[in-house]
Amino acid sequence: MKSHMMLHRRTVLAGLIATSLTPYFVAVARATEAQRGGTVTFVAWPGATVLNAAVTTAGPSTLVSSKLFDGLLDYDFGFVPRPQLAESWEVSEDGLRMTFRLRPDVKWHDGAPLTAADVKYSMMEVWKVHNARGRNVFAEVTDVETPDDLTVVFVMSRPSPVIIKALSAMDSPVLPAHLYEGTDPLTNPHNTAPVGTGPFKFVSFVPDESVVLERFDGYWQQDRPYLDRMIIRYIGDGATRTAMLETGEADLVASNGIPSLEIDRFRSMDGFEVNPDGYENVCIVCQLDFNLDVPELQDPRVRKAIAMVIDKEWLVRNVFFGLGVPATGPIHHQVAEYYTTDGVPSYPLDLAAAEALLDEAGFPRKADGVRLELSIDPQAFGEEPLRAAEYLREQLRTVGITLTVRNQDFATYVKRVYTDRDFQLNIFVAGAGADPTIGTQRFYWSKAFQPGVSFSNSTHYSNPRVDELLEATQVEMDPERRREQFAEFQKLVMEDLPTVPLVSTIRVTVANAEVRDYVSGAIGVFGGMANAWRA
Amino acid sequence: MQPGQGNDEQGEGVSPFLAILGSPAARFLYRRLSQAVVVMLVVVVGSFVLLQFAPGDMVDVLAGEADLTAEQMADLRARYGLDQPWPVQLLAYMGRLASFDLGYSPKLAAPVLDVLLQRMPVTLTLVALSVVISLSVGSFLGVMAARRAGSLLDMTISTATLILYATPGFVVALGLIFFLSVKMRWLPTAGLTTVGADLRGMAWLVDVARHLVMPVLALCTSYMAIYARLCRATMLEITSLDYIRTAWAKGLPERRVIFTHAFRNALLPLVTMAGLQVSALLGGAVVVETLFGLQGMGRTAFDAVMERDVNMLLGVLFVCSFAVVIVNICIDLLYVWLDPRVKVAA
Amino acid sequence: MTVRRSSLFLGRILRRPSGALAAAILLAVFLMAILASVIAPQGPWVLGGDVRLWPGQNPAFPLGTDNFGRDLLAGVLYGARVSLMVGIGAASIAASVGVVVGAVAGYYGGVLDDILMRLTDAVQTIPSFLAAIAIVGVVEPSLTSIIAAVAIVEWPMIARLVRSEVLKIKGQDFVAACRIGGTSDLSIIFRQVLPNCMSPVIVATSLIVGTAILTEAGLAFLGLGDPNAMSWGTIIGSGRSTIRSAWYIVAVPSFAILFTVLALNLMSDALNDALNPRLNQS
Repeated sequence: MKSHMMLHRRTVLAGLIATSLTPYFVAVARATEAQRGGTVTFVAWPGATVLNAAVTTAGPSTLVSSKLFDGLLDYDFGFVPRPQLAESWEVSEDGLRMTFRLRPDVKWHDGAPLTAADVKYSMMEVWKVHNARGRNVFAEVTDVETPDDLTVVFVMSRPSPVIIKALSAMDSPVLPAHLYEGTDPLTNPHNTAPVGTGPFKFVSFVPDESVVLERFDGYWQQDRPYLDRMIIRYIGDGATRTAMLETGEADLVASNGIPSLEIDRFRSMDGFEVNPDGYENVCIVCQLDFNLDVPELQDPRVRKAIAMVIDKEWLVRNVFFGLGVPATGPIHHQVAEYYTTDGVPSYPLDLAAAEALLDEAGFPRKADGVRLELSIDPQAFGEEPLRAAEYLREQLRTVGITLTVRNQDFATYVKRVYTDRDFQLNIFVAGAGADPTIGTQRFYWSKAFQPGVSFSNSTHYSNPRVDELLEATQVEMDPERRREQFAEFQKLVMEDLPTVPLVSTIRVTVANAEVRDYVSGAIGVFGGMANAWRA
Repeated sequence: MQPGQGNDEQGEGVSPFLAILGSPAARFLYRRLSQAVVVMLVVVVGSFVLLQFAPGDMVDVLAGEADLTAEQMADLRARYGLDQPWPVQLLAYMGRLASFDLGYSPKLAAPVLDVLLQRMPVTLTLVALSVVISLSVGSFLGVMAARRAGSLLDMTISTATLILYATPGFVVALGLIFFLSVKMRWLPTAGLTTVGADLRGMAWLVDVARHLVMPVLALCTSYMAIYARLCRATMLEITSLDYIRTAWAKGLPERRVIFTHAFRNALLPLVTMAGLQVSALLGGAVVVETLFGLQGMGRTAFDAVMERDVNMLLGVLFVCSFAVVIVNICIDLLYVWLDPRVKVAA
Repeated sequence: MTVRRSSLFLGRILRRPSGALAAAILLAVFLMAILASVIAPQGPWVLGGDVRLWPGQNPAFPLGTDNFGRDLLAGVLYGARVSLMVGIGAASIAASVGVVVGAVAGYYGGVLDDILMRLTDAVQTIPSFLAAIAIVGVVEPSLTSIIAAVAIVEWPMIARLVRSEVLKIKGQDFVAACRIGGTSDLSIIFRQVLPNCMSPVIVATSLIVGTAILTEAGLAFLGLGDPNAMSWGTIIGSGRSTIRSAWYIVAVPSFAILFTVLALNLMSDALNDALNPRLNQS
């Protein structure tokens, strides 16, 4: 009898608890249950010129591309591959064959079915040919076999550990062979009126103004995308973009697209959030290159002295407004797998030591207090390179080096620094890639030195051991050995100091709080955003 | 100067058509148009040569943005004829120009003419609205100030307009954005229309109008000041002239005197200024266009300079110069109508 | 001009309240430029204080600091030097070129006049700010290129003015008398004709100084300023990205520009009135 009553009480208690909690559960459920419908608007600058990221690696195109197109794979947090167009995949023992099984019943926006031929075309005619990153990453792919309509095999001459990380819609979108085959991919009109397999399909594109996309009802993922429409507006001024976010005319700003000080303001504003997730593929570093063909800069003591007048914390605080960390080496701090500071030389701020080094190197102060005159060319992209250059000028002035800042437009900068090599110091921001082979390598590999090609070893650095290490990591499949190779690489490069890595930047998305689930993986808002919804 | 009146020197039996062709007005037009052609040629050639001095070309810009290889760059240069010596390129351009082919813009992946036709209406609307508003408001203020010259009203108007003139344009624009859009939420911040709203007819017109209020205001301010001061000065000068004093002496009501006689002649310098305003705004509203996200001629030309997109820049300059020439001719004709003493010759 | 005439002239300017105000402001600007090294001997570039101090927050930095911690007061003082240099430099060059072109075209007439006028037309047909952007964008942005760009864009106005004045004077008797008397053309132009044209040229030139300063600010706003020269435009450019939170960094130099251009306009008005007493009626 007693047990019966206790059971009864427990049941009643449980029931009471359950009913009292029900509103909470319902409320939580309401808040997290995705709703269909609504429009999300990005505001960005510069404008995209082509709407797929296969024929170009320009940043603006990557934002649009993945919403219209899919890649073979998508990536979960931590850059763990997960299925997108490929349902499953395997790599052979010797690493020379990568097999992907495609999802059945995937349709292009125009109704045609996706087949292995599309992947073969994209790889052999586009990714390996026209895409700057692809040329590097897929260099070992010699052929693509298509035993049936849903199976793709990459045949490689040497194993490559990076390919599996480079197959997102942001890096390698699959293009429709039936619309591109036999044409010149660079001038194909579908570059500005795309047909893809992605969650959104093309509605309109006005260059430097807007891109309008709407839901693709035949998307392979059930019930997705949730949003009716996705709009990207291109507005040239940072203050105006900020205003648009405040008034609600725009909902999302990707990759620090508004002035960094404003980003801070949005952190504490109601109705907005600042989200650092989803930038694992966008590892952007700011670094100072020395032109090693300039006699004064060939002495490592001069280079180290210059490194020692830089307070990287100051740069992070006042040039990047907190959106970054001081760089300790060539690899971005977010590439956790390979980033290390063990045994890597560092050059902390020390003006006295810098002056001593310069004296030692044979550049004493002359009668007017000046030791040396140098010039710096900041990259004409955004404000950070110019501001950092101005800071460097003031710091170098205190140790007797007169630095002239050459402010010029982008075309002049590219020609001067990369084609004519008419420069002494060069400061810029560039992508270091999710894997060092994809991005970092080109700054240090002697074979990457090609006058005329931008951001490719502008220092003219050549260290045979570093080359050996870099070439080994291109084909090393054992993760432990690869880690060791990159560790030694970081140490050597920071000893030689052909360039001073300054800041590993942190990218964020500033969003209107009504937009939910806009980040659902490693590439965040640069992905398809099929799971995004509006509250 | 009346069309239809043949020139006596040509004798009798001259058809009306030939008479029009030979009339002073037509001769005036020929002269001006032929001068215009020369001017535009100088503009085009001059700009082309200027851009040749610019370090780097379009392919360098493309390469910097998208990491091209050396072979790809050489290939692109051959494709766009950039590897030819510049006189050859210039001749090729002039040849295309003769058939109204303004070339192709690789950056925008479209023929230059298409881009211009699409963006010209934006600029024309901005310019037309700015000129009309600043001219009318400015002249009104100028007349008011002149009527009560030396009074508090005069000083207030003069000071206020001067301050507006001296304020840098972007300060005005940013101030407008901050107050009218962000704080008051009365107006949309940027762009030409509400993207993706698919409005038609009246609703679309209202939408565009709302988007243009701030840019037009920002463009008006400095010229409003100029018109006000110009109008005031000219009105003061004219009202002291004899024929006005005569009209007063005759007992004509003041308003009639001012608005029919004096103002009509004050219009002459105002009209000149308006012509200058049009030419300045056609390509020079870059800052306002940048801040409000409007792709007009100014912004297009700015981007073309940065991208070293020679075809695009020359296209914009060509079109803008042509518009300026037309406007100048219209102004000259307006002169004649406004002041019968001015003759068409010369 | 004799001493008496110049003091009369000055008196005419200073008698009007606008003229007096303009003179006062311009004097202040000149003093700022001259006394910059006295008031702020460390120069405008030193990263001295905390970043983004508001005006009045720290008495050591009365006008606050910019995004780098640079003293805005020093920036405004030294900036006066640069802005005045740009303004006066551009205006003088524009005036010189314009006077020569206008005088030659007006005096000699004929084919020379036609050619020069077509050239003037061509330069005027290109929208002026755009031409400045093109010139500065093509050459590296520096004070020299900015001064050159403004001068190239503004000389046509002076040329036209001078030409119309020369045309008016050319037909007068005393010029014919000189020519018959055997005086060289050059002497006639410089000694007889030009001095009578100077009033509108002076008025127009003072306006160009203001335009040059505004153009430099506009160019700096678009990113085409000279980063090695501390001008008011440079400060505005550096504060542009933080305008929502630290708008004073843009406001302070903008006020400096506002007052200077205002003064220049008032001064040109006053000059106009002083040089043309006929219009000096109310």
